[in-house]
Amino acid sequence: MDVLEEPGKKVVLLGNEAIVRGALEAGVGFVAAYPGTPSSEVPMTFARIAKKVGLYFEYSSNEKVAFEAATGAAWSGVRAMTSQKHFGLNVAADSIPPVAYTGVRAGFVVMVADDPSGWSSAQSEQDTRYYVRMFKMPMLEPSNPQECLDYTKLAFDISEEFEIPVFLRTTTKISHSIGTVKLGKMKKPKIRGRFRKDPDKYYTLKPHLQVLHDRLNKKLKQIEEKYGLELNKVFAGEGKTGIITSGVSFEYAKEALLELGLNPPIAKINLTHPISKGFVSDFIKDKEAVFVLEELEPILENFVKQIAKEANPNLVIHGKDLLPRYGEYNLETVIPAFEKIFGKKLGINFDDHKKKVDSASKGLTPRKPVLCPGCPHRSTFYAVKKVFGDETIYAGDIGCYILGIFEPFNMQDFVISMGAGAGVSHGISLVSDQDVVAFVGDSTFFHAGMPPLLNYKYNDAGKNPLVVVLDNAITAMTGHQPHPGSGFTGMGEKVEPVKIEDVVKALGAEVRVSSAFSQKQLNTALQELKNLKGPKVLVSRGECRLLTRRQFRAKGRTLPLYEIDQEKCTRCGICANDLACPAIVKSTVEPGGEPVYSINPDICLGCAVCMQICPEGAIHIVKREGK
Amino acid sequence: MKFDVMLTGVGGEGVLTTQVMIARAANIEGHYVRGVQLHGLAQRGGVIPTFIRFGSEKEVSSPGIMQANADLILAFEPLEAVRATYYARKEKTTFVINDYPLVPIYASIFNISYPTMSKITKRIRPFAKEIHVFNASHLGKEKFGSAIFGNTILVGIVTGIGLLPLKQDSLREAIRVTAPREMENNIKAFELGLQLGREKPSAR
Repeated sequence: MDVLEEPGKKVVLLGNEAIVRGALEAGVGFVAAYPGTPSSEVPMTFARIAKKVGLYFEYSSNEKVAFEAATGAAWSGVRAMTSQKHFGLNVAADSIPPVAYTGVRAGFVVMVADDPSGWSSAQSEQDTRYYVRMFKMPMLEPSNPQECLDYTKLAFDISEEFEIPVFLRTTTKISHSIGTVKLGKMKKPKIRGRFRKDPDKYYTLKPHLQVLHDRLNKKLKQIEEKYGLELNKVFAGEGKTGIITSGVSFEYAKEALLELGLNPPIAKINLTHPISKGFVSDFIKDKEAVFVLEELEPILENFVKQIAKEANPNLVIHGKDLLPRYGEYNLETVIPAFEKIFGKKLGINFDDHKKKVDSASKGLTPRKPVLCPGCPHRSTFYAVKKVFGDETIYAGDIGCYILGIFEPFNMQDFVISMGAGAGVSHGISLVSDQDVVAFVGDSTFFHAGMPPLLNYKYNDAGKNPLVVVLDNAITAMTGHQPHPGSGFTGMGEKVEPVKIEDVVKALGAEVRVSSAFSQKQLNTALQELKNLKGPKVLVSRGECRLLTRRQFRAKGRTLPLYEIDQEKCTRCGICANDLACPAIVKSTVEPGGEPVYSINPDICLGCAVCMQICPEGAIHIVKREGK
Repeated sequence: MKFDVMLTGVGGEGVLTTQVMIARAANIEGHYVRGVQLHGLAQRGGVIPTFIRFGSEKEVSSPGIMQANADLILAFEPLEAVRATYYARKEKTTFVINDYPLVPIYASIFNISYPTMSKITKRIRPFAKEIHVFNASHLGKEKFGSAIFGNTILVGIVTGIGLLPLKQDSLREAIRVTAPREMENNIKAFELGLQLGREKPSAR
């Protein structure tokens, strides 16, 4: 694996992989994380190499406990790390601020990946740079995979030097970008430590709380003074207009300026909290104008405005006046801003080109993401809709099943955050007479789905929502990471799986378990549960079919295959239009002729659900040939 | 020097593995490499636009390719070739299309027919210097038992035609590292692609 290659070698790494390598070069000994894309490849890479390298790695049941476990290790003198996506940080947030006060003993790096444009997130475009200002913790921001490695390593050193957790923030286009990386030497991890009682360090009670707070303020000042000038960089250039930027925006600025044949001075802010006042005022003092280029919130821009009041009151400051305060940027969004500021044209009209593209792609079939062929969730959605109809409120949650938002299901009426489907449903049930079904995945259930059920029992709504746990045995959405119900740990050790139905019973709810692949079983269980009054849960259990396929392949076995009997098929289209399995293809042999439905043997994963729903009994199993 | 390759296709087609393969070959030759994989929700049967950029460190920094600026677009699926025109322009871009339609389920749900290859090339033509169409996935299935080998065949084809400025040996080495389990078949698939490319089929 490239991430473990020899020092001195140049390899191509994903930003997230480079972060792992940086941590290995810093001798990280303890890593705990809950997966969340775009950060998922950080824990996935650790999971693959942990045993080989000799460090401890775990998939924790959520980001909060992951942060807490890593804190415990860092307090005990073992270099520790945790990672999460931006919303994951919301979950961990409760435990974070006090750790800024207490500090740590060994280096502790908190990696967080923001997702502007929502490539992997259907909730919000939150900018976690605000968080570190509230937490009062330092934050480093790399611009490319090489810096991912370098700054992770550096973050451990700063953390240990000042005894404070250090944030490493990426965005999707850094975490998921690849780049050439020169490797350094890895350090043998230290994995054992000892917690030393120390009231002066750990007691966060009044009045000692203020003592710790004062210490923290001084620490931040010291970090700003020591690293503010050293870490941020100025690239000399010509003219009185300067660029101030950080993160992936630096990469866009560099290339956009090259394309336009411009060479203004650039200030690259790598330590984005605390930002060095000295560095910024030194850069802006002799400028007539600056352009602050950053995605999402105007955090650098506001800082520059504040500093300019003293350092250069006449400075013209551009930023969000030229670019949107939402979405991610790319070359074609930033170039027009540079064109405006410098009065130079590239010669490509992006808007005209976009119009030509739109007209060329007009009327094409959309290709929205879909549930995979053989997905157990599709079968569950189909059965629930049969029993509950279109009027029922369908609460969504975070996982593959979010794709139930699209046609033909339209069964995710809202999606808030992990476990929130069941939580919001309680309020709807209390104030309305509507039927509510809340979907939640297995990993999401263990992560944040249990508290709402406990609340159902305690504050009984009379007619409670039905919670459907979609149990596919794995955290599928983020790339098949195990969870407490999977039966093995992040390091591949076998453990006793936690049964969801046992937890549900203990929380006081009535529970039925059904195979997700049996329409008959699902139907029976749903009918029974529909009329029950108290807290009620259906566990719809069916392994992620991609996982099943992998296991079959490993054993040299093939999955069953189904076929549509064209003699019996009446072209009703239920299998394609209502079940919407991508393996079922509608085609017309002649233009304008009768449609023909068939099953694509390349992608059919043999779940047999189409066979069960075909009203004509036209779908049957066939023998699979070859691979 | 700077060379911009775009790969596009559908989640599950092996687009990401192909990206890693080409990126490794560029790295072997000492190029500075950048790129990005746009996945997440789209991994599940959605579109996966993927970029590989290589050349000098001075010229290549953005992970994504600029609009209308791809040198080569390798479309694993015909419909997605049309949507990739965002990154193409007539003076610069060559399209290589794998004639292996994966009809989206929405074609049935919304009752929209899947266009023929000639209609697809007609839509692309205003954005393309050249368009090459190959049956790579069919060949992969026929010769090596799975459509997935079509990807390595396509990499061979673009190398054979001379559309990808990387050495054959670097690509062979990259294939060995990237696909160790099916190495032999992948190397064979690459050689087959090279041969097809060298025979230079008439561009459409």
